[in-house]
Amino acid sequence: MPYLGGEDALRELRRALANPHVQADRLRYRAAVLRVIRHMAQGADVSGLFPEMVKASAAADVVQKKLVSLYVRAQAPRQPQLALLAVNTLRKDCAHPSPAVRGLALRSLCGLRMPGIQEYLRQPLLSGLRDKASYVRRAAVLGCAKLLKLQGDSEVDGALVNELYSLLRDQDPIVVVNCLRALEEILKKEGGVVINKPIAHHLLNRMADLDQWGQSEVLTFLLRYRPRSEEELFDILNLLDGYLKSSSPSVVMAATKLFLMLAREYPHVQTDVLVRVKGPLLSACTSESRELCFTALCHVRQILGSLPGHFSSHYKKFFCSYSEPHYIKCQKMEVLCELVNDENVQQVLEELKGYCTDVSVELAQGAIFAIGNIARTYTEQCVGILTELLGLQQEHITSAVVQAFRDLVWLCPQCTDAVCRALPSCEDAIQDSEGKQALIWLLGTHGEKVPNAPYVLEDFVENVKSEMFPAVKMELLTALVRLFLSRPAECQDMLGRLLYYCIEEEMDMAVRDRGLFYYRLLQSGVEEVKRVLCSPKSDPSLGLLEDQTERPVNTWASEFNTLALVYGRERWALVTAYQPAEPSYACSPCTDSRSRDTESLISEESKEILKAHPDTGNLTLISDVYLTAEEFEKTWLSLEMSCHLSLPWCGTVQPDAIQTALHVVHIQTIAMSKAGVQPWKAYLSAQDDTGCLFLTELLLEAADSEMQVSVKQSEAKPEALQTFLSVLRTVMGAVAGLGS
Amino acid sequence: MAASALFILDLKGKPLISRNYKGDVGLGEIEHFMGLLLQREEEGTLAPLLTHGKVHFLWIKHANLYLVATTKKNGNASLVYSFLYKVVEVFCEYFKELEEESIRDNFVIVYELLDELMDFGFPQTTDSKILQEYITQEGNKLETGKSRVPTTVTNAVSWRSEGIKYKKNEVFIDVIESVNLLVSANGSVLLSEVVGTIKLKVFLSGMPELRLGLNDRVLFELTGRGKNKSVELEDVKFHQCVRLSRFDNDRTISFIPPDGDFELMSYRLNTQVKPLIWIESVIEKFSHSRVEIMVKAKGQFKKQSVANGVEIAVPVPSDADSPKFKTSVGSARYLPERNLVIWTIKSFPGGKEHLMRAHFGLPSVEKEEEEGRPPISVRFEIPYFTVSGIQVRYMKIIEKSGYQALPWVRYITQSGDYQLRTS
Repeated sequence: MPYLGGEDALRELRRALANPHVQADRLRYRAAVLRVIRHMAQGADVSGLFPEMVKASAAADVVQKKLVSLYVRAQAPRQPQLALLAVNTLRKDCAHPSPAVRGLALRSLCGLRMPGIQEYLRQPLLSGLRDKASYVRRAAVLGCAKLLKLQGDSEVDGALVNELYSLLRDQDPIVVVNCLRALEEILKKEGGVVINKPIAHHLLNRMADLDQWGQSEVLTFLLRYRPRSEEELFDILNLLDGYLKSSSPSVVMAATKLFLMLAREYPHVQTDVLVRVKGPLLSACTSESRELCFTALCHVRQILGSLPGHFSSHYKKFFCSYSEPHYIKCQKMEVLCELVNDENVQQVLEELKGYCTDVSVELAQGAIFAIGNIARTYTEQCVGILTELLGLQQEHITSAVVQAFRDLVWLCPQCTDAVCRALPSCEDAIQDSEGKQALIWLLGTHGEKVPNAPYVLEDFVENVKSEMFPAVKMELLTALVRLFLSRPAECQDMLGRLLYYCIEEEMDMAVRDRGLFYYRLLQSGVEEVKRVLCSPKSDPSLGLLEDQTERPVNTWASEFNTLALVYGRERWALVTAYQPAEPSYACSPCTDSRSRDTESLISEESKEILKAHPDTGNLTLISDVYLTAEEFEKTWLSLEMSCHLSLPWCGTVQPDAIQTALHVVHIQTIAMSKAGVQPWKAYLSAQDDTGCLFLTELLLEAADSEMQVSVKQSEAKPEALQTFLSVLRTVMGAVAGLGS
Repeated sequence: MAASALFILDLKGKPLISRNYKGDVGLGEIEHFMGLLLQREEEGTLAPLLTHGKVHFLWIKHANLYLVATTKKNGNASLVYSFLYKVVEVFCEYFKELEEESIRDNFVIVYELLDELMDFGFPQTTDSKILQEYITQEGNKLETGKSRVPTTVTNAVSWRSEGIKYKKNEVFIDVIESVNLLVSANGSVLLSEVVGTIKLKVFLSGMPELRLGLNDRVLFELTGRGKNKSVELEDVKFHQCVRLSRFDNDRTISFIPPDGDFELMSYRLNTQVKPLIWIESVIEKFSHSRVEIMVKAKGQFKKQSVANGVEIAVPVPSDADSPKFKTSVGSARYLPERNLVIWTIKSFPGGKEHLMRAHFGLPSVEKEEEEGRPPISVRFEIPYFTVSGIQVRYMKIIEKSGYQALPWVRYITQSGDYQLRTS
């Protein structure tokens, strides 16, 4: 945003800042600095004031120092040369007698995100770690993590790490937690901070001193610790018992997760834990904060998946209140579906019935589908309610009811008759594609039980030209052919018309092809059509449409209290689809759950090592040679195995990281399985400057086994092969190190 | 972990203030937020958690502001939401109200606070009492040559500073029970619960040790006083200062309190209680002509108690006009902007029954969109009374200087989420 009159304003500000009278009056001086900040916030370019601003930070006023540091932080990346001026002032402040100034200076210094700052940071940080004021130590500890982030590729400083580990014994609770946080960042590549027995026990003893943020984070760090004995395990659980009932929902969640994970081999303990957190979870579900309430509801749903009936007696807590936002109402309806049992089914259905006529279309339809879900167990009552709703003749209600019927008939064939009796006269009220499809499917599949089925379908055939949705036309074709089989006399004529239309006039290729398909199928005789269309359908008990098997707690315990659970499994898969696989899921809790960029997985440093390799020895791999998959396959099959070896591997595979790493050393990836597939395979090819091809297959049977590597060579060159293998080993070693 | 960056946006999605704590999520990412929010709202799939690419947005809305935390990690949602609410709480204590105006007016303090609340994406000092010791609004006006040291930082007790002094040492104890009620349209009670909190206002010098005695049933059974009147508390939660181990052992509530206001504990009663104020309503709508409303309110609590400030909010159609009211007690007024009639009764003794009639005209042309069925909601406060019968039996205050301190106790029952559905 261009700032009008910027030049003048800037000149005026500079004059004010440089004016010795202003400088002498602290309030005026600060006001001038504040004006600069306001200009900056409005988007004006105030970079020209850098020297004056840096000078202003030398003043004794703390608020002014803060303002200037805000300015410097914003401007430093653009003017690294000038920022050095600020660095000197800040470094001087790091030795200021007031701890507030020291802490502030240290924090500002570490907050400058500009290259080359590291060398100025080390000394102030080291003295900060030993400062007598905990305020400074807190800033210094996190400063260490910031420093490492700035350095990016360089070696982790062992002395610094040791210093931080020893600060875990600091008397200030926030310093302790900050140490954990900093170490976690610094030791990311090695799998984060190590929680051994003394550290774990120390943290357990300090829990009571921590604030709610510290408590929930420490509980998460403790996930990494494996107690040595059963006795120790139960001691820990006893010690932490109180946190299951903490007044902070995030502590309750973190404690629950820790309990579930620690007791992964004791299902009865897990169940007991879930009983104990019932109260806190329920109160979170009625929390004043909608977001916390939403999060709690998501977790309740997950628990219900493993312990159906766990919240059944509290079903009334999940009744919707008028003013609640949509996302909470939807979650509550899902919860109601899951906790329904013989005792409460009447009341739950009564309540859901009320929502079916809500003004919000989404909510009403959601409630109808919820009743449809419950109908799988309590068929008769639900079909009754749904049929009643049809009487309202509301478009969105009828559509949703018919869709619910379709899914229900499939799973509970015993209700077919009741559904068929309800169907007549629905067609007038349905306008949307989904509803039409459902109705047509029902009429086609169970048309023999609906007297007016052919006439309803005839209406659809009459209007097929103006039909908007291809999916409806497809459904209509299938339905009519089916109905023709059971009621040929009434359907023959219109089936002919429909087929004619679909083949001759329809513009949508899929519909046309479907029309042609049925036409040709019909030509082969009615018996053949019957055999194809009416052979046994898939058995619903196979769980094709529903998954009602109870899921053991351990299948989701590691996702408890993460975003993944709040999103839900399907959405989370979508959200993370194009992100690199997260190592944490398949692994033990030693790796924490955090997504990492593929780029950052391979540090600059290891890239260099990788790059260096191809030039050594007598092997040079060419970068711009690309084999197609067919060429590869042909060559692969024609060659003899040159070499076979297995490499140690731990954890899951991250295909993106491997591919990037291989690309760096000029090995082309021909094909590669997705993350998590077992067995995992990859095919690679490379060519050296003499034209010799190296084809490679990687095979990992199951996680935590050995990676099988088979290499074929187009010319027998043992020396080059050895060099190639060592390159490959280095790359895979580097990537494997990241995975675990 | 908590957040990579924190944004405060106005209603249009324009950032008023942002802090990029970690630098791994670009500040530009926030530009996608508003679009996403509107899109999801349109689809009816709005959730407090949105995603753009690899970035997750966790957001809350407060007044005319959005507070958004961004993260790339598969983190802990309830922690982030709790933190955002904490930020709101801290700002509110500084500026009374948190809204666009107060952010703009207090630009400097907001930045200072954001700096102290979080560092590198991790919550730091979030206790507003401690923050107020070294970040003061006066700091912007007054000349503060020397900066103060946050003394609390070195204390063994992180929630209380040393060297607090009062001339008169007093503790005010408020026992507040809120009644949540949900009644279906046909008059059956769907949900009735009581949420109790004990709030303290502490004006005590030094480092006092406090012990609170309640008529807790578990305690009475432990000590063999089973016959006395006692209360069964469920889902009890305490402030951080209470020693949980002692409570677990012998149900003693002992603590060193923070200075000033704080919530000591909360509990819940799941026993079904009779709704304190019962409402019967008849809302008759004659399309194209009029709406007639009859509301009967009955105080179903002890005759000696009185409910104060009773407000009964009755929904009316949004196109209603020309209101007419008749009340047996109190006054009624029409709030067209909220489509409500509010019937106010200043004092409502137990056992009494009151009546209100309202009459509205309806336009002859009916409007298109359908309306929801908002419930009747009730607000009230009954002093000197608790539903549970909880009692503070004693409050012992011990400080090494040996001063005498007075505890004052107040009991109040009030309405929480108190709703009666209409048909």
